[in-house]
Amino acid sequence: MLNETALQEIQELKIRYPERESALLPALYIAQREFGWLSNEALLHVANVLNLPEAKVRGTASFYSMFKDKPAGRNIVQLCTNISCMIAGSDGLVNFLQTRYGMKPDETTPDGRFSLILMECIGACGTAPAMLVNTDFHENLTEQNIGEILETYK
Amino acid sequence: MVQLTINGKKVSTKKGNTILEAALDNNIKIPHLCHDKRLMPYGGCRLCIVEIEGRKKPEASCATFATDGLSVWTDTPKVIKIRQTVLELILVHHPLDCPVCDKAGECDIQDLVYQYGSPRTRFVAEKNHALPDTRGPLVELTSSRCVLCGKCVRLCAEHQGKGALGLIGRGFPTVVQPAFGEALECDFCGQCIDVCPTGALMNKSLKFKARPWFLEEKDSICSFCGCGCTLTLGLTDGKIQRSRGMQDRGVNRGNLCGRGRFGFDYIYSENRLRSPMINKGGELVTVTWDEALNYISDRMKSIINAHGPSSIGAIGSPRCTNEENYCFQKFMRNVVGSNNIDSSASFGYGLVEKAWHMAFGLSGHRIDLKYPTGKEVILAIESDLTVTHPVFGLNILQAQREGSELIVADSRETKLTRHSTRWARIKQGTGVVFLNGIMRIMMDRGLIDNQIVLHMKDVSAFEETLKEYTPSKVSEITGLSRDELVTITETLVHAKTRMLTLSIGVSENSKGLDTVLAATNLIHLLGESPDALQIPAEYANTFGLYQMGVRPDAGPAYQWTGVEGKNIFEMLYEPYSLKALYIMGADPLVNFPDKSEIITTLKSLYLLIVQDIALTETAKFAHVILPASSWAEKEGTYTNAEGVSQMLPRLIEPAGQSLPDWKILKNLARTMGEDMAVHDTTDIVREIDSLRVKYYDSFPMTRIFNPVHYVPGEEPDTEYPVNMVLRDVLQHAGSMSTRSKTLNLISSEALLEINRTDADRFGISHNGYVKVISRRGTVYLKAAVSDSVPDGNVYVPTHFPHSAVSTLTHQSGKGRITTEAVRIETA
Repeated sequence: MLNETALQEIQELKIRYPERESALLPALYIAQREFGWLSNEALLHVANVLNLPEAKVRGTASFYSMFKDKPAGRNIVQLCTNISCMIAGSDGLVNFLQTRYGMKPDETTPDGRFSLILMECIGACGTAPAMLVNTDFHENLTEQNIGEILETYK
Repeated sequence: MVQLTINGKKVSTKKGNTILEAALDNNIKIPHLCHDKRLMPYGGCRLCIVEIEGRKKPEASCATFATDGLSVWTDTPKVIKIRQTVLELILVHHPLDCPVCDKAGECDIQDLVYQYGSPRTRFVAEKNHALPDTRGPLVELTSSRCVLCGKCVRLCAEHQGKGALGLIGRGFPTVVQPAFGEALECDFCGQCIDVCPTGALMNKSLKFKARPWFLEEKDSICSFCGCGCTLTLGLTDGKIQRSRGMQDRGVNRGNLCGRGRFGFDYIYSENRLRSPMINKGGELVTVTWDEALNYISDRMKSIINAHGPSSIGAIGSPRCTNEENYCFQKFMRNVVGSNNIDSSASFGYGLVEKAWHMAFGLSGHRIDLKYPTGKEVILAIESDLTVTHPVFGLNILQAQREGSELIVADSRETKLTRHSTRWARIKQGTGVVFLNGIMRIMMDRGLIDNQIVLHMKDVSAFEETLKEYTPSKVSEITGLSRDELVTITETLVHAKTRMLTLSIGVSENSKGLDTVLAATNLIHLLGESPDALQIPAEYANTFGLYQMGVRPDAGPAYQWTGVEGKNIFEMLYEPYSLKALYIMGADPLVNFPDKSEIITTLKSLYLLIVQDIALTETAKFAHVILPASSWAEKEGTYTNAEGVSQMLPRLIEPAGQSLPDWKILKNLARTMGEDMAVHDTTDIVREIDSLRVKYYDSFPMTRIFNPVHYVPGEEPDTEYPVNMVLRDVLQHAGSMSTRSKTLNLISSEALLEINRTDADRFGISHNGYVKVISRRGTVYLKAAVSDSVPDGNVYVPTHFPHSAVSTLTHQSGKGRITTEAVRIETA
């Protein structure tokens, strides 16, 4: 259940838009901030608070990659594997991350340090391969520098 | 109007239409998958792409407005090539399993591939191998066939106001399904089946039953509620296989609810009567028509000789046609010589007619299904029109979406309250107080329409009645705050256009004549035209039956009959008041209140004739049972709540030896030595037409106040602490629909809806059985613990014969509120 402050925030969002549906994305952000990820219960809760169909809420949450449908690690690594990054060797990086850190796509390391997400294009084709760690942007990745970068995230 | 050119041809269309709509209106075909008239433009499938002169890129015609002077080309080589590529992309995942798909033959995808060339695709990808989701009772979802046009999702959310389906996921793995992949739990209107352009959403009851090209389709009128929707029925080998709505057809304009779509199979019930039967020594014995009619004739004649014709009564049917009801009253009035004829309308529509006459001097209260459109304020009083009259309800929801302020005064959460702009949660049965409170505020603040009200004679007496309905008292009784009441009053008064609506019928008990009268008073004060009051007649032919004179006080077309006959209350609830009763197409023991009282009356009769399509609860008490043909097995007309008479064609052969009701009446009259002078339905129609001298609207309109006081139903006390309110369920109308196997898959017994607090108080668990005890009887029902009902109240539907809810109820005979005080115990 969302706490009073979060509920209050969502109530205020509702007034801001002429349609309840418009408040859905910001409300999902609030729920994710509170719970860390969006469980089915959290989605049902948001649907109830906004008086929107559950299918609409789940559909929206499942569409956007920034909403998580399972608990995530402390650091979220989003590595692009679309065409430019793929040509520049992102597949090798995926293997490297698995052998070096035990990171598997869509999974969290047992120590809870990293979650790996294979990302669709993040608009860094000119400096591929590229990734986001939490909200930090990293480009021109190689097996050498990716390790150094990840070491700064504990 | 907008003028544009399509393929070199000048066409015109309404302002605000899209190019696609302009083309379709002018019979120019542009292929499209995701477009539906009822929905907002979406532009998803890209098949309706067209070239517009002067614009660089081709555009989706479903999402581009038609403007003056546009020159549009719909079939250029470039456009055709784009469409072919789009189809190739759609076919990347579509399995092309047409040989085993029930949609094949009327499938948009199949037709498009046929038209545009090739089932091959240059794109190689894994096909979607999802198996059909067969868990739901009526709708089968085969996601491998889905092309993700989203039409079902949008129709369900935007148009039906339900939102049971979603597009879940992103990219290739996206599926159409309920929120969490659970089995589809929804209103079961099946509208998604009609709009699906592929075989992804299918009618489960039709699966592997008939190839669409073998289905012969014929239109008829739905036999359930008063909306009078057009059903397009598909038949093979003389059997109705399915029912669907066709775009723009009928008063429903292609919309259907679950009853109309799935419920027609009640006519194939095992319970259908196939031959006449006579009760011989406690056992029902099959007899010939001759024997049955002679038996009735002999008994009737001896009763008439011994006790006079006024000892015989009759109950007509809102499921029978106008022609049959006309013959029924003619039989009673001319052959028997009695005005004792009435129907279930006396509990509902009859009260509306009475109020209509008292307040405006008018007769023939009709609604307009499209009336909600564009009204500034819509006020619904203790009713969920989306359940009782689903298609009228859809129009209310649509009006709300388009900007109408929808105020719903109701004790429980319903689809209507969920879509309302303001839900005034009044206590059950307090509609009169709510309305009186509004009127008192209007009077106090001088917010009344003086031009109309000052010319009315009885204003002071009316004002006197309102005196006691002070805002604080109204607030106390209804539970509504004073501010809320004032806001609602002001909204109503300041609106330029308004609609007041409610439903009333034998299956509800928290409204009565007083509620309707209070609404008419409000119409006067607002200076509104009587049309602003929209109360639909309950069933398929309730309106028609009334027009045909199945009522004790007037014959067909309001010809007053002189001596007023016995009404339904005198016939059914006063044992020994009659010697014989002839019931045509009604099941009082299930639908009418106070079952045990009716049983006492039925047992007191020398002769009970039940003429019906199925062995009803009432028929089990009959001396003679006559098998009637169902709505699909005979010709005739139904008049819907709009007052529109619509033809029923004969679609299938009558079941067994059953006959149309009018033919049975004709034969019976002949057996009794009388001639009804009817040989076929055209005779009857001619006779009815010749009588329509004084049809509705021909009375001069007056305006009269009818002050009403609040008279509550049975008040709860320590022994019976809970209010029981009767409310319909969406899947049923009356009790006939409970013989439909498909509808029973969704709802087959009366659930007692109870609030969580009360459930805890009485130790009741969800889905557990409970004992419900009223002053009149006891029944066992399954409990549904629900947050949508207020505490201190339980809500029960009456449809189900086996649930026997009418054991608990009572009637007032005066059109009063008859909510029941009951006690609930764990069973």
